[in-house]
Amino acid sequence: MSAATTAHKDPKLPPPLDLPEGPEWVAALKLFDAHTAETLVAAARTLYPHDGLPERVYRRTVAHFDAMASKAPGAAQAFAEFVDLVDGALPLIFRELSEGYRVQVLKGLEASTAFRLVQRSCVRFLYDDVEVWQAFGYEGASVHLGGYVNRGFNDLDWLPDPPPGV
Amino acid sequence: MTAYELDDDGVIVIIGSGAGGGTLANELAQRGVKVVLLEAGRHLTAEDFVNDEWGGYEMLSWLDKRTSSGTWRVAKDHPLTPSWSCQVVGGTTTHWSACCYRFIADELRARTVYGDIPGTTLIDWPITLDELNPYYDLAEAKMGVTRTNGLPGLPPNNNFKVMYAGARALGLNVSTGRHAINTIPYDGRPATIQDGFTITGDKTGSRWSTLNVEIPKGLATGKLELRSQARAVLIEHDAAGKASAVVYVDGAGLTHRQKARAVVLAGNCVESSRLLLHSKSARFPDGLANGHGHVGRHYLRHLIQTVWSTFDKPVHMHRGEIMGGMIDDFVRHDPSRGFAGGYYIEMNSMGLPTTAAFMDPGWWGRDFASVIEQYSKMAGIFMSGEDMPQADNRITLTDELDAFGVPVANIHYDDHPNDLKLRSHGYKVLTSIHKAAGAKRSVEAPAYPASHNLGSNRMSARPEDGVLDGHGQAWEVPNLFIADGSNFATGGACNPTLTIVALAIRQADFMAGQMAAGEL
Repeated sequence: MSAATTAHKDPKLPPPLDLPEGPEWVAALKLFDAHTAETLVAAARTLYPHDGLPERVYRRTVAHFDAMASKAPGAAQAFAEFVDLVDGALPLIFRELSEGYRVQVLKGLEASTAFRLVQRSCVRFLYDDVEVWQAFGYEGASVHLGGYVNRGFNDLDWLPDPPPGV
Repeated sequence: MTAYELDDDGVIVIIGSGAGGGTLANELAQRGVKVVLLEAGRHLTAEDFVNDEWGGYEMLSWLDKRTSSGTWRVAKDHPLTPSWSCQVVGGTTTHWSACCYRFIADELRARTVYGDIPGTTLIDWPITLDELNPYYDLAEAKMGVTRTNGLPGLPPNNNFKVMYAGARALGLNVSTGRHAINTIPYDGRPATIQDGFTITGDKTGSRWSTLNVEIPKGLATGKLELRSQARAVLIEHDAAGKASAVVYVDGAGLTHRQKARAVVLAGNCVESSRLLLHSKSARFPDGLANGHGHVGRHYLRHLIQTVWSTFDKPVHMHRGEIMGGMIDDFVRHDPSRGFAGGYYIEMNSMGLPTTAAFMDPGWWGRDFASVIEQYSKMAGIFMSGEDMPQADNRITLTDELDAFGVPVANIHYDDHPNDLKLRSHGYKVLTSIHKAAGAKRSVEAPAYPASHNLGSNRMSARPEDGVLDGHGQAWEVPNLFIADGSNFATGGACNPTLTIVALAIRQADFMAGQMAAGEL
């Protein structure tokens, strides 16, 4: 069995966003207000519900949305529209709905541009988070560590090894 | 550094520095021909590249807007990025995964062998495998393809062990395949360290690219001038109807006109067809070389798809070269299967970011989450199959202009019934291989943005059937050539780069011969 893995981002890339723990994380955002930010976090958790992941990875995902929105007015408008749509769908605002109702609301919006932006952006940033890599066993950047040639590129041991030269 | 004058009409101007253009530039320079190589992207080096899927994508990709239409799933999943190529010195060879397989003889005679399939515009290639084979030999030698010229194959990695176990259980012919990736030092380049990031630029140079092999060798001759951040926007012609100059915009936004003895387009399918269609004049009202209306048509993108499977135990598929596995049992035309053409099965690995993004782009919820959480226990297997040419699968110009004043391209693609039958056959086989290795669950992933872009300026035996003759020379404009995959008469099944390189070497022989004979 393989040893525990450690995830690495390429050292040339900027470090992960460092957000404050707790509700004050929204103060680090450029554009979104607290309601927008927390609603988008709730949407991200509903779209990609990994119970083992801490809230901060979803918050970092939404912080990337905030960065997108602060650079592109069209994106800002679409995120705002998304929040209005999910809040207006049922008698309770989205953040206060149970997971089953949240899923129902999101399914009803799948065809909208706003949903598509949120869903695609969620995939783009959530699964690019090094803490998520670590949780799911993706080790990431390797060339600065000498590649995987001496770090397990062929260490699978639960199937027979192919014959030499195959 | 060699620098030619803008009014030097003795130079060959090549647009695009990827597999076709970069190779042709070097091959011509080696033959003493003066070449100006225009590349829209920047000149990056190994130091600039990152081991990061999205970082590499954003650094290397051609991200200018395109639109899409038709029944292909790409139009729904990736409507503004239907095609995936690179905008950087080295073109898409900075991104490719280095699979090097040859066309088989039947694929070069597709119309004759497959017959008259309704709705298709199949033709035979104007050249045979016997004519192409010597150039495949040269291409494999220059690229250092494994399992040729005494070079060892890639060693099996974790993902391959899964593929191998499943394939052998089913009696299939499986190996790690043939790649332009060094397993031992070759041609001054090192052996792979199995870093797993060939598609984000290749920081070690163990994989052949025009950036690290062809262009430096061409520059060393003193005959080649490379101009990066030089965005071609128009091809001009003279009163005799010959290509005379290329208009391009440099990195500072200044427009230049480089005169030319001959012009070669090698900007990948979409850009080459777009430039021809845009280069209209009174003499060529529908665009250059388009007298028979074939420019942009018969667009092909291969039947590409992946099956991702989860297993009980760790795989760690991201470790090592990403496509080091191949099964060739289905590379043949076998009418008993109910479809024309065949497909290669290849190993496929992606990191977590792109596995999540491409597994099924609209998929969300607890089911998706339960699959992607299994990333470390996931294996990938892939196929590249032949799609059918259809006249209306085509690149056209829209009414929207880009920042350079050139119309944005639309790519229209409708799936042909043969495509669906081949895809379905392939999904079943891919899944059965993983099941035979113990897969718990397999997911049929759709095609991602098209990276094997082919056929939209095709060669043909008769002028009325295509755009180019068998040397990639435009029927209508004798000093205009195409050196990218848009020149393919049909798509075949294999990854196209080796064939693009072989055709470019052959084209260099032809062009140099024509020049020596005073005909070009």
